Amino acid sequence: METRKTRLAALTAGVAITVLALTACSGSNSPSGSNSPSDSTNGAGQTLTVYIGADGKYGPQQQQWFKDVSAAFQTQTGATVNFQTFASGTEELTKIQTSVVANQGPDVYVMGTTFTPTAYSTGAFVSLTADDWSKVGGKDKFVPATLGISGPSDSDQVGIPFNSGPFAMAYNTDLLAKAGIDKPATTWDGLVAQAKKLTGNGVYGMAIAYKDNFDPWKFIWAMSRQAGNPIISGKVAKVDDPTTLKAYQTYFGWLTTDHVVDPASVGWNDGQALAAFASGKAAFFPMSTTSNIPTLSTSAVKDVYKFALMPVVPPGATTLPAGGAGATSIVAGNNIVVAKYSKNQDLAFALVKYLTDDANQQFMYKTFGVLPVNQTTLKAVVASTPALGPILDAAAGSVATPFSGAWADTQLALMNVVVQTIPDLAKGSVDNSKLQSLLTAAQKTAQSSLDKAP
Amino acid sequence: MPASSAESAGQSVPSGLAGKTPSGRGGPTANVRHRRGVTASNRPLWMLIPGGVLMILVIVVPILLGLYISVLTLDQYTLRQWLSAPFTGLGNYIEAVTDSPLLKSFWISLSFAVLSTAATVPLGIAAALATQNHFPGRAVVRSVFLIPFVMPSFVVATVWRTMFQPDGVIVSGLHSVGITSGLWLNGPNSYWTLVIVEIWAAWPFIYLLALAGLQSVDHDVHEASALDGASWWPKLRYVIFPYLKGPVALACVIATLNHINNFTLPFVLFGVPAPEDVQTLPFLTYITSFESFRFGLGAAMAFSSLILLAIPLIIYVRAVKLDVDEGADK
Amino acid sequence: MTETTTGRADRAPARGHRASTRRPGSRQAEVTRLLPSGILVVVLVAICALIAIPLIYVVLSSLNSDLGVARGEFFPSSFSLENYANIWTTIGLGKGIANSLIVAGSAGIVSAAVALATAYVFVRFRFFGRVTIMRGLLVVQSVPGTLMVLPVFVVFASAGSYLGIAVIGTLWGLFLTYLTFTLPFSTWVMVTYLRGLPKELEEAARIDGASNLMILLKVVLPLSWPGVMVSAIFAFLLGWNDVLFASVMTNSDTQTAAIALQVFGSTQQSGTLPLYGQMMAASLVCAVPVILLFLMFQRYLVSGLTSGAVKG
Repeated sequence: METRKTRLAALTAGVAITVLALTACSGSNSPSGSNSPSDSTNGAGQTLTVYIGADGKYGPQQQQWFKDVSAAFQTQTGATVNFQTFASGTEELTKIQTSVVANQGPDVYVMGTTFTPTAYSTGAFVSLTADDWSKVGGKDKFVPATLGISGPSDSDQVGIPFNSGPFAMAYNTDLLAKAGIDKPATTWDGLVAQAKKLTGNGVYGMAIAYKDNFDPWKFIWAMSRQAGNPIISGKVAKVDDPTTLKAYQTYFGWLTTDHVVDPASVGWNDGQALAAFASGKAAFFPMSTTSNIPTLSTSAVKDVYKFALMPVVPPGATTLPAGGAGATSIVAGNNIVVAKYSKNQDLAFALVKYLTDDANQQFMYKTFGVLPVNQTTLKAVVASTPALGPILDAAAGSVATPFSGAWADTQLALMNVVVQTIPDLAKGSVDNSKLQSLLTAAQKTAQSSLDKAP
Repeated sequence: MPASSAESAGQSVPSGLAGKTPSGRGGPTANVRHRRGVTASNRPLWMLIPGGVLMILVIVVPILLGLYISVLTLDQYTLRQWLSAPFTGLGNYIEAVTDSPLLKSFWISLSFAVLSTAATVPLGIAAALATQNHFPGRAVVRSVFLIPFVMPSFVVATVWRTMFQPDGVIVSGLHSVGITSGLWLNGPNSYWTLVIVEIWAAWPFIYLLALAGLQSVDHDVHEASALDGASWWPKLRYVIFPYLKGPVALACVIATLNHINNFTLPFVLFGVPAPEDVQTLPFLTYITSFESFRFGLGAAMAFSSLILLAIPLIIYVRAVKLDVDEGADK
Repeated sequence: MTETTTGRADRAPARGHRASTRRPGSRQAEVTRLLPSGILVVVLVAICALIAIPLIYVVLSSLNSDLGVARGEFFPSSFSLENYANIWTTIGLGKGIANSLIVAGSAGIVSAAVALATAYVFVRFRFFGRVTIMRGLLVVQSVPGTLMVLPVFVVFASAGSYLGIAVIGTLWGLFLTYLTFTLPFSTWVMVTYLRGLPKELEEAARIDGASNLMILLKVVLPLSWPGVMVSAIFAFLLGWNDVLFASVMTNSDTQTAAIALQVFGSTQQSGTLPLYGQMMAASLVCAVPVILLFLMFQRYLVSGLTSGAVKG
């Protein structure tokens, strides 16, 4: 019996190794890129590797799109396109790091706009020359606001806009009508006043995701920026600033003093806040994007929700103060960057041109619901879908977060203040001195990170 | 180690899985006491080559590389030319120990790990004991026990995260029996949330090793103890548990180390940045290396905690005699 | 006297008669009983309940809509089986599971085999640095994966370019990574197990002229199946669940199930609702092969000595 067991194990091992060997032999992956001169867009036999986020909602459609793009590009230049997907920002960051260190990897990365400053700081991505810009079709074809987070200055840019996802506010027209409100306010104070009117009978004025990993800092940044504080200014971090303190107090106050949010929202991430709005339990849902549309259009509020701009006047003011920027949203969406180690940079630019031309941008909008960055396409979208008007205004009015290698740390520090305050928030009151000390700690972190930046 | 007074005088006390060769037991070969080990010329050291080569290449070399990184100022600005990143000697280590939350995180991780291990050991052993004897459906039960260990970590974390929500199942359930529990995913309770979820997900580890250990209990041992008329608890305590000592001791070490290094569970449960009660070590290294991009500092943190861990580790290993064979050189 | 051939008879009691023949059936079962039935039932039910509750939540959520799960519902507000159909097309789940099975399975088997050979040398023979290396294997377990990711990638990438073959992105690279990372632990499991095996059988075989390799294969291996099984299982599970190294070492063609699953759980900055329903369905689907494998192989987790020891 032992021999039978031994034989079974040996057989299993043998099968496994054979399958592995066969997989290795037949499915061999040639290293990305290859060794011919990069000075031509004749890509016969070349393969470009593109690293892009996986679309969970439209998986099969995305796979088909990959095939179509590769086929079209092959017709155009002779080179095929190999799309590699990642599931999360962490995964992409890890890939970028390993590729930068090993000097090999995908030729082209599609990355969120907030990652672009970090990618820039590695120095591993191509800063586009005027010539390069013409290879991708020229800067003019892009919506100007989308170029906001492409680089530290207009002459030093690594990010080519790919698609746009500005933040706006969804609101329930039904609930507003019942309370006698015409449309959402344009100041934060005004919005809170409206929210108070809308709260009652199991419905809350606002759906806020206090525990989300991405939302909270955007509120703080927006309010600070509107009051004139960009958080990072040159080599100085301004986290410990009265405007930022006021922003936090307002943000927390919605729960503790104004009582316009569900107390359970201290534990909500964005999806849960969305769910609350989508079931009619909240009147306003700020930090909403077009990616919420699929969920909203099959929910209880599908006929009564609309988009509006988030307030652009900081708390405590009725008009935009001097020095403040009427930021409707951060510059949100995806940029494309080309790796310096790529041996096919011209081919890469040709691909980027294809991806950002009207035809593809239209296709992406229709299939995936992502907003185009191409001016022509955007005008067509405006014309055909008036309901998206506020979203487009949000895109046009978006202001870029500071383009600094230290922004990732600063953003984290801003988030940390929220996370450490949640226990107090749950109890119902936030101690001001504690908030101040958290801010001081965040300031220290942000400033020390800024000092390390060259 | 309990003396097996319940057994015959001739039976030796087993230590771990290793049984001492008793004196003068029957059988033709037992009386001939061979020299332990064999001559140097007969040692099949070549059997060590496959494992050795692999481990040197894939473990030792990267660790040395990591050590090298820990003495560099390697961050997002110097990553590209990492071989020529500025040398900073012990700078990272000093910063790790004095200027960063390393010690606090280390303490949080260690206490959480020890607590989790302590709780999973009785659970795992009980499960192994319960499924040792055959009953209808045992195979299925044995397999079902494995499920928490098999489910992907982030799914487990997501499920428990939803259950621990302020308006979720657990809070409502506790409320219905009159307990107001407050916030589970932040604040002081978050630590216990982490412990609970980790216990749920990781106990099959102990269970499996205990199961393996139980297989080395020979039938004759059972017979003997039955003959002695031992009831179940003394039998368990004095006869069976000594067999489990070795595997469970090993399981404790490895499980503790796994708990300390578990990143996914707290990450998905609490998100980044984490509430201060659950800022475990992996969180710290992750944020330092993957969000702040300070790889040099991150590596220094990892090695500092390694040194901090090594001391109790070696003490523990010597205490349970994990690294000692019967009569072998120390 | 017949018991002595099992080797373990050395521990048989001296006094009184011994049951020299094994009586099958209930007497054997009764003798080997570890827990009284009452406690047994309580333990089983308690543990099953402990596992069941979150598991039931997973099952129910897989039938629910994503919005329902986001709202925190335990019992679904809407039932649908479409998640189970969608998971196969949303991501390459089939290919992912196949890749995972191949890589984790091979890593498990080979790891157990290499660990057996390595542990055998550690336990039965003495050589310089033996205990230090063994302690070192334990210490290595405390190195976190996040520290190793970058260096391991560099090592493989450099080796690949040096040898002119692609290592990153192939199943081989991942296999080697998993194999090596599981070796310290597998070796230790085998060491703990092998220590319990009596030397007499091996010595007898050696007297008969068997080489070390034959002793390993014909004497040691049959007796140490439980240890080998456990090593293989753990090595397999490590490869099955790992995300960190797979994300770095694979590409879309060779991705493992664990990587494929990440897509469901991803919380992108754009605020899309995670595909909770599909995530739950997919994780159940992924758990099935492992449970089945364990069901098949858990019968090897029996006392190897009672199932026919080597006589003579």
